[in-house]
Amino acid sequence: MTATSATALPASDEVRPAPRRWGAPLWVGALLIVLAFLVLYPLLMLVFGALSDSNPVVDGFGAFRPSVKHFIDVLGNENVHLAFFNALAACGGGTILAVVIGLAFSWIVVRTDTPFKGFIAGASMIPLFVPPLVAGVAWGILGSPKTGLLNTVLKWVGIDFRFDFYSMSGLILVFGMYYAPYVYMFTASALRNMDPSLEEASEVSGASAFTTLFTVTFPLIAPAILAGSLLSFVVMLGIYGVPAALGAPANISVLTTYIFKLTAWSPPLYNTAAAVAILLMVVTAILVWAQQRVLSGKSFATVAGKAFRPRPLKLGRWRWFTFSLALIYIFVVVVLPTLALIIAAFRKFLFIKDFDALFDAKAYSWVHFNSVFDNPLTMLSIWNTMKVGVLTALVGGALAFAIGYTVNRTQVSGRRSIDLLATLPVAIPGLVVGVAYLWAWIGLPGGLYGTIWILALAFVARFMPDTVKALSTSFMQIHKELEEAAWICGRGMLGTIRTIVLPLARPGVVASMTLLFVLAIRELGSSLFLYTSDTTVMAVLLLDYYEGGNVGKTAAFSLVQTVLLAVLLGITTWLSRDAAQGSARVG
Amino acid sequence: MSSALLIEDLVKRFAAGKPAVDGVNFDVPAGEIVVLLGPSGCGKTTTLRCVAGLEHPTGGRISIGGRVVSEPERNLLVSPRERDIGMVFQSYAVWPHMTVKQNVAYPLKHRRSSNGSGNVDTKVRETLELVGLGDYAERPVTSLSGGQMQRVALARSLVYRPQLLLLDEPLSNLDAKLRIRLRDELRRILKQTGMTGLYVTHDQAEAVVLGDRIGVMREGKLLQMAPPGEIYNRPADSFVANFTGASNVLLGKVLERKGERATIDLGQVGRIEAWTPQPLAAGDRARVALRAENIRLGERGPANSFTGRVVERRYQGMQTVYDVEFGGQKLEVLELGTAARHQDGEVALTLPPDTCWAYRDEGQSAID
Repeated sequence: MTATSATALPASDEVRPAPRRWGAPLWVGALLIVLAFLVLYPLLMLVFGALSDSNPVVDGFGAFRPSVKHFIDVLGNENVHLAFFNALAACGGGTILAVVIGLAFSWIVVRTDTPFKGFIAGASMIPLFVPPLVAGVAWGILGSPKTGLLNTVLKWVGIDFRFDFYSMSGLILVFGMYYAPYVYMFTASALRNMDPSLEEASEVSGASAFTTLFTVTFPLIAPAILAGSLLSFVVMLGIYGVPAALGAPANISVLTTYIFKLTAWSPPLYNTAAAVAILLMVVTAILVWAQQRVLSGKSFATVAGKAFRPRPLKLGRWRWFTFSLALIYIFVVVVLPTLALIIAAFRKFLFIKDFDALFDAKAYSWVHFNSVFDNPLTMLSIWNTMKVGVLTALVGGALAFAIGYTVNRTQVSGRRSIDLLATLPVAIPGLVVGVAYLWAWIGLPGGLYGTIWILALAFVARFMPDTVKALSTSFMQIHKELEEAAWICGRGMLGTIRTIVLPLARPGVVASMTLLFVLAIRELGSSLFLYTSDTTVMAVLLLDYYEGGNVGKTAAFSLVQTVLLAVLLGITTWLSRDAAQGSARVG
Repeated sequence: MSSALLIEDLVKRFAAGKPAVDGVNFDVPAGEIVVLLGPSGCGKTTTLRCVAGLEHPTGGRISIGGRVVSEPERNLLVSPRERDIGMVFQSYAVWPHMTVKQNVAYPLKHRRSSNGSGNVDTKVRETLELVGLGDYAERPVTSLSGGQMQRVALARSLVYRPQLLLLDEPLSNLDAKLRIRLRDELRRILKQTGMTGLYVTHDQAEAVVLGDRIGVMREGKLLQMAPPGEIYNRPADSFVANFTGASNVLLGKVLERKGERATIDLGQVGRIEAWTPQPLAAGDRARVALRAENIRLGERGPANSFTGRVVERRYQGMQTVYDVEFGGQKLEVLELGTAARHQDGEVALTLPPDTCWAYRDEGQSAID
């Protein structure tokens, strides 16, 4: 890639018409080829897989018998229907719950005088960073019908009620609680941007605070509510970890877990998996498109005369009620699962006879951690995860910079296609990227399959839209004239990028690479289909432990992963903040 | 007849520091429109929002229609929806997810003391006719122009005939031509409905046209509350004089004062007779404020007659502005009419004593 960019850009700093005329098309061509290789080729192979019945490993590509019938057969399959409707039910229910929680939170944080609002706002975002599988595992430990910790507590208190999180309602609850922040992000910013006099006018007109909320406030931010719920639905639809942990014990398959099941069969049903993956992708694409439509539509709440003077609603004694609501949420979503993981990881046996046995010190030990680290795969997976993370960050960051610059800063023809190709993965769930890459490389001998690179490239493709978007924002902040001034001073295109654009965009570049790194090390969905025993990563190994049935080891490794993630997140945040401060005056 | 609005010793302090409203007193009799005028940050909008109940005062008492609605000392605070007020906001604040009719009908539907909700349709129609939007009832409000939106906002606050109408710079988001048209129409509608109004603006022209009385505010204090004619001819304070357009200032020393008449020594050009609202004493440093259009150029009157020198002339078509040098001080003089009659050089000039207003000289800061 570096080689292509070196030849594709005008090599000299002098502006001569001849090389420029060839430089731009060459550069655009190179970018298009790279993107086609990363995005289009795997997708084409996925379609190819869905339309054929040949096994790429056994048959090679010689015996390609394309037929739409094959794809239609899969769509007619009852198990596929079941997985499809299970997915709709789980994600639909989860979304409704997420809207209720997210909306309540944004109202509490933006519109009321609830104490410690900053803390509430920050803490309620934590669920976004919890890997789905870890959340699923923790809630399995808490809410399994027989040994669940919550049920032990209920039994001790004497309440005749038992939780069962290995169920559709368990799935919905966990989805709703953990993906509420997506709704919150949209609705909170909509509430913040709303002209407060719209609400004041209602109050002066004689409506009560409650009436105002439901006749003015919520209808006004309806587009944001819709956009947030569509996004959280799409994210839930693509999640593998939660349904794998909570749905599998109860035999509830959703699309993602069903796809993986197909490839884990012996012999693996790669063609069927490809067909179901396409179904998942189409549903996702439609929803993403709908969400973009909602977002680009005319936004209501932006008529503004003067700067807003936010007037938080004085709740009086009720503010302690809203405060405790927030605390309960944070307790249930962050504290409880963490406690569950800690207990399960340190107890020799998870079976807890009664509540008092919970505090029996003899029952606790490091035995699960020891056995996790005795396994050579553990260190290998951590090492691999770091390698994949760094590779993804570097390759993805560089590519996103090239794409972002070309799309936002130049007038070359073909930049629209580059933009389109780079944004396409937004509609492809991680798991589908995994299946597509599997199809793209498994049949090619001596290719990428089985190396760490296939994971990194899949991640680069999967997270390209997020990275390019983050970088584009920082390009927008650099005034075009800063660049033009350098050209006037006699700098060429490359020289200007090196001396002006790159230093000014540095905080954005560092931030995007950090984001890529974090996204890559916690990604499970696409890794599932691409790892081999040599290239296993943490997320996959955790799934292995879980499916092996040893709760203690699973919990111990979940904790290791969570602590590692938290530390890395801390370091990278600190790094990117440092970079941001270095050029705080830009823009 | 009791006052529709009575404000006593109103104080509003936001954080530590200077209060935004600092001991304001005034009343608005029923049927009168009072305009609060002042530069931005003078506390006029905060005063209005305290009356609406959208801001909670720190001290003082507010009564609407004889009922105390806010008195922090007694922990008394009536919520906005129970104050029987209407309010028109600067940003219109019409609800974009409703039609014109739905916007206007909203207060009728949600007010607790809806007097006979049966005739909602009639009331809405009548009010829309009144503001000239009779044909627009079913339109979505987002399809209207800014001026039409402001009419919707006005209709919404008039439809239930509140005791008191509050208007917070309602015309400032409109372009200049529309502003003038809507201003005159607003006066007609308010007078036709006999509304009692409190109107906040920074625009003098609006204040003069709309206000039965104008209150000039500065740094949280009400400097003068009087009918427009008095504000313009008898400003109580050098800030009021300057803010309403008396931009010429002559510096001098008080020689003597008899009641409201003062004689000021201007140095080499001699002495000047002036009106003063302040108890100036002989020897005080004084500043004499004068409006450019009150100076008579080329006339020798019975008093305050001097000789100056035109140094520059700016012809503006309908009027001409002269810079006149006058005993080391500078005056700007405005001559109305399309003919510029005076040339550069010596010129006679008369400053009628009634239009020369003397105030104690407290330095430039008293004006800016």
